[in-house]
Amino acid sequence: MSFEPKIVAFLCNWCSYAGADLAGVSRAKCAPNVMSIRLMCSGGLEPAFVLKAFKEGADGVLVCGCNLGDCHYIDGNYKTLMRMTLLKKLTRQLGIEEPRIRLQWVCASCAEDFVSAVNKITEDVRALGPYRQNKVEVGSGSAIS
Amino acid sequence: MVALTLFKEAADMIREAGGEKLDNCYQCGLCTGSCPWNQVRSFMVRRLIHQAQLGVIDFESDDLWLCTTCRNCVQRCPRGVEIIDIMRAARRVITETGTSKIPDSLRLAITNIAGAGNPLGQPPEERGDWATSLKLKHHVNSYTLYFSCCIPAYEPKVKRVAMATAQILKVAGVDFNILADKENCCGESVRKAGDENLFRSLANKNLEAFSEAGVKQILVSSPHCYHSFKNEYSKLGAEFEVLHMVQYLAQLISDEKLTFKKEVKKKVAYHDSCYLARHNAIYDEPRQILKSIPGIEIVEMSDIKDNTLCCGGGGGRIWMDTKKDERFSDLRIQQALDAGADVLAVSCPYCMLNFEDSLLGFSDTKPIEIKDVVELICEGLS
Amino acid sequence: MSSLKGKPDEDIKIGVYVCHCGHNIASTVNVEEVAQHAKGLENVSVARDYLYMCSSKGQNLIRQDIMQLGINRVVVAACSPRLYEQTFQNVLRESGLNPYLLQIANIREQCAWCHEHGPLATEKANRLVSGAIKRVIHHSSIEEQTVPIFPATLVIGGGIAGIQAALEIANSQQIVYLVEREPSIGGHMAQFDKTFPTLDCSACILTPKMNEVARSPYIRLMTYSEVVDVSGYVGNFTVKVRRKARYIDEDKCVGCGICIEKCPWSTDSEFDADLGLRKAVYTPFPQAIPNIPVIDRERCVYFLKGKCKACEKFCEAQAVNFQQEDLYIDLQVGAIIVATGYDVFDPTPISQYGYGNLPNVFTSLEFERLCSPSGPTAGQLKLADGREPKSLAVVHCVGSRDQNFNAYCSRVCCMHSLKYSHLFKEKTGGEVYQIYIDMRCAGKAYEEFYERVQGEHVNFIRGKLASITPDMSDSVDEEKLVLTCEDTLLGNIINVTVDMVVLGVALKPRSDSEKVAQILRLGRSRDGFFMERHPKLDPVATMSEGIFIVGCCQGPKDIPDTVAQASAAAARALAMVVRGKMDTGAITASIDENICSACKVCSALCPYGAIFFDETSNVSRVNRILCKGCNVCGAACPSGAISTRNFSETQILAEIEGVLV
Repeated sequence: MSFEPKIVAFLCNWCSYAGADLAGVSRAKCAPNVMSIRLMCSGGLEPAFVLKAFKEGADGVLVCGCNLGDCHYIDGNYKTLMRMTLLKKLTRQLGIEEPRIRLQWVCASCAEDFVSAVNKITEDVRALGPYRQNKVEVGSGSAIS
Repeated sequence: MVALTLFKEAADMIREAGGEKLDNCYQCGLCTGSCPWNQVRSFMVRRLIHQAQLGVIDFESDDLWLCTTCRNCVQRCPRGVEIIDIMRAARRVITETGTSKIPDSLRLAITNIAGAGNPLGQPPEERGDWATSLKLKHHVNSYTLYFSCCIPAYEPKVKRVAMATAQILKVAGVDFNILADKENCCGESVRKAGDENLFRSLANKNLEAFSEAGVKQILVSSPHCYHSFKNEYSKLGAEFEVLHMVQYLAQLISDEKLTFKKEVKKKVAYHDSCYLARHNAIYDEPRQILKSIPGIEIVEMSDIKDNTLCCGGGGGRIWMDTKKDERFSDLRIQQALDAGADVLAVSCPYCMLNFEDSLLGFSDTKPIEIKDVVELICEGLS
Repeated sequence: MSSLKGKPDEDIKIGVYVCHCGHNIASTVNVEEVAQHAKGLENVSVARDYLYMCSSKGQNLIRQDIMQLGINRVVVAACSPRLYEQTFQNVLRESGLNPYLLQIANIREQCAWCHEHGPLATEKANRLVSGAIKRVIHHSSIEEQTVPIFPATLVIGGGIAGIQAALEIANSQQIVYLVEREPSIGGHMAQFDKTFPTLDCSACILTPKMNEVARSPYIRLMTYSEVVDVSGYVGNFTVKVRRKARYIDEDKCVGCGICIEKCPWSTDSEFDADLGLRKAVYTPFPQAIPNIPVIDRERCVYFLKGKCKACEKFCEAQAVNFQQEDLYIDLQVGAIIVATGYDVFDPTPISQYGYGNLPNVFTSLEFERLCSPSGPTAGQLKLADGREPKSLAVVHCVGSRDQNFNAYCSRVCCMHSLKYSHLFKEKTGGEVYQIYIDMRCAGKAYEEFYERVQGEHVNFIRGKLASITPDMSDSVDEEKLVLTCEDTLLGNIINVTVDMVVLGVALKPRSDSEKVAQILRLGRSRDGFFMERHPKLDPVATMSEGIFIVGCCQGPKDIPDTVAQASAAAARALAMVVRGKMDTGAITASIDENICSACKVCSALCPYGAIFFDETSNVSRVNRILCKGCNVCGAACPSGAISTRNFSETQILAEIEGVLV
């Protein structure tokens, strides 16, 4: 059986989750490998969530927020941007390949952006193969929980 | 670049000469975009209007004489600016003040009209000669007058229009009269060319002749005469009904005063003249006529009715020289050919003259016939 | 990582309800299989599938299970929570469960509708449902709180915006404090001659409103006063107002004006844009509200040199009191409406326009005063040498639409420039030139006004004015000005010679708007005006809950827009005040005081100022009234002390585990 990646997506409630809903409403087909988890704001995404996902067996993580400047909470997504930049430095050290973590702004009417982000990360991760967490033991300590 | 200084006086002159709505222009440029000149050469109507607003108009410029008064811009202007009035007013300033030169060809026509009552300078006593063979009533009191216009009266290429018209009227049993040597040019184009005084004098002469003959109804072949009598003479006290032949004949046909006996197997494209279509919203009647002539198949060109393409002859342009590659009539004939027409039907002597001239530019074989609507009626009657 | 906080002690009994949504879900996802899968999961007592879960029959299934089976957590696998979460929350509430013991798994929009039918779609639905089941275990009841609010409203600024807002509230018989910095209300509108496009006399339409303010028993008017501090939060603001010493007792003064008449000292009148004079004791203009003068201690000779007191001698009411001092008072209000207005741009820095050097170059506000019948020239247009001008140029966009000064369009100048053309024509019959970049006349009957003024033979020259210079040609014996610019419609440089120039100057944020923003905790947009909560959907509210902005302090706008915005803000304030209490949101952050290390990272990040530091207990606390639940603080807290209700770390981590099982 071919490898089907498991990917967790974190979506902010106001833009990205609405954009993802719109993808469904418009019957835009995308890869069924991405499971969405709703947050109020992408700025409320704790880095631990991303690491937890990899620990629990995810092969990739997609983070979506409002377009810069459109955050429902003024500038939460700028915080997301900074945190994700820092987090990616860390995950690189942990041996998690760059394409396994993707940050994508998706506005409430940007269903296409969501669909293409889902398909892109699914293809990228499929090409990389399963993330073998035994390579590096993530989150054995309490630092990220 | 030397800075321009504004001459309010010049703007005021134009305003007083009839361009009152000048100030309302907000310089959107729709006029320039709509002007047929820009299909053949550049003519910045919008800029000219602005120059007029500020009084920095260049009275030496040829541009002032380009406007054919086709009314495409006026019809579309979002601010209701009477651009034709402004052009006319600017020309009037030149004519009346001698600020700069009037184009030679135009001056000749104007001189002819002033002297002989027609632009061709032909003797006034020969004005009725076209009708000699038809034995029409001259100078007698008559309710209905047929006013042929100068071009069909004198111009060999267009005389056939006047003759065909008179024949049809006779067939229909219409009691009508012609004024022959008592007629003068209606002055419509004279006025558009800026000679307001000459226009007034022509109008007064004609009004006098009409009233002497007791005319109550005038039938005309030219949309220019139509426009002038109906919309300009009326302001000078005229009290008569004016009908263009296409209106009058459409009525005769629908009243069955004319019945067709012969098929005219032709594809006909009808050219709306500016002065019938855009100036006076007459475009259904000529099409009704063509439709009633058995055998005729009407084909339509791309620019019709109130979007019609000017032949290039209005506003006094009929008397001025137009460069070979800049003639709208050439474009129009091409439109008729593209529509697959055998005949380009007209209802204006100026259009006919311009199209006949354009045909000379085509290779030796005539690609299309130019016919007045009345000629086609004649063909169907005989 | 594995240390998920322990499950609550109670016996968790989860009911799972999988919706077919007709064929919408069922044609792609095998819903029976999903329900079957859920049945096998920990803590799940019952799992059902049904044709339409949102129908009353579907809702009844849940209701019955809660009542009969003692279900205490609910997972609904159906459409997006953005659609029916509240409906199902109500089902829980009606069945005696806290509505937040619910979790929705979105298997329609984000599963069935965007995937092909097949095992992968069903597998994804299973994962989403597992995630919801794992998550809901950690849900707990959330109680919303209500807090009482002070029933009064503060309006800062007594221009047309503040007047309108105050009157709207007063007309609802609610108390308003109207605080105005100047000795009288009226603002800029009181300075205008006529208003576009109707050419109503400004004073004629404003004065009745000012009188209404004076008469209203619900408006506490405080002129010559400033807000110096605001503390508290929505519903519970404490506002400190400095009432500057007037040196005239407001209770005694009868407004007879004898003090003004007798005062021997004059200075430039601010109200007349420094073109006229006023006394050291003065009201800014004759219709001032209140009609009580102020002694300007900077100009009063008694204050400067210790003698005069002419005013005191003549005041029969004995209202003059040189001993008066500034008074500080505290107000308690539930809502604040900020209507602080604008400053006009000073064109002096644009040296090529010669403002300040060329005496016949005026600003728009100066021109208003020159036109006004109550102005320094009694409405006669006069040049510096007293002549009546025969020609006028009105220059648009002076300090507006110019990156060197203000990038934005000031919105009113095109229209007031047209108005000046009309007024000038009316008063002098002279020649008028409009030097403009674009004519922007968007507003009811504005374009029509433009067309009307065009028809009055005004010259429109399109181009940004390059310079104004004195006319040096010998033939001119009277002083004239030469304006040079390109007429971009002609492509020519044009010189226009006129007697008088009016610069249509930009509307700017008040010079102290930064300070005001600090006091009120308002944001400012890049142009310096106060920032609205949302540029389109909430242009009246601010990021500070309970504080509204109206009129030109939010951005340049004309009188109709200002009045509309003021009424809107009044409605918003009334909506709170009339209710008398307000609810906190459910999804709000909370700080575990035992873990908080007092680092204050959270309060710095909070966009709403909802986190304050409690110095006595040395911990940060969340004001639930202000918190909007974004969890930006929670994500940043280095001690993990912050948790957002219904979006806690524990809940999210459990959901992650669930979707990846």
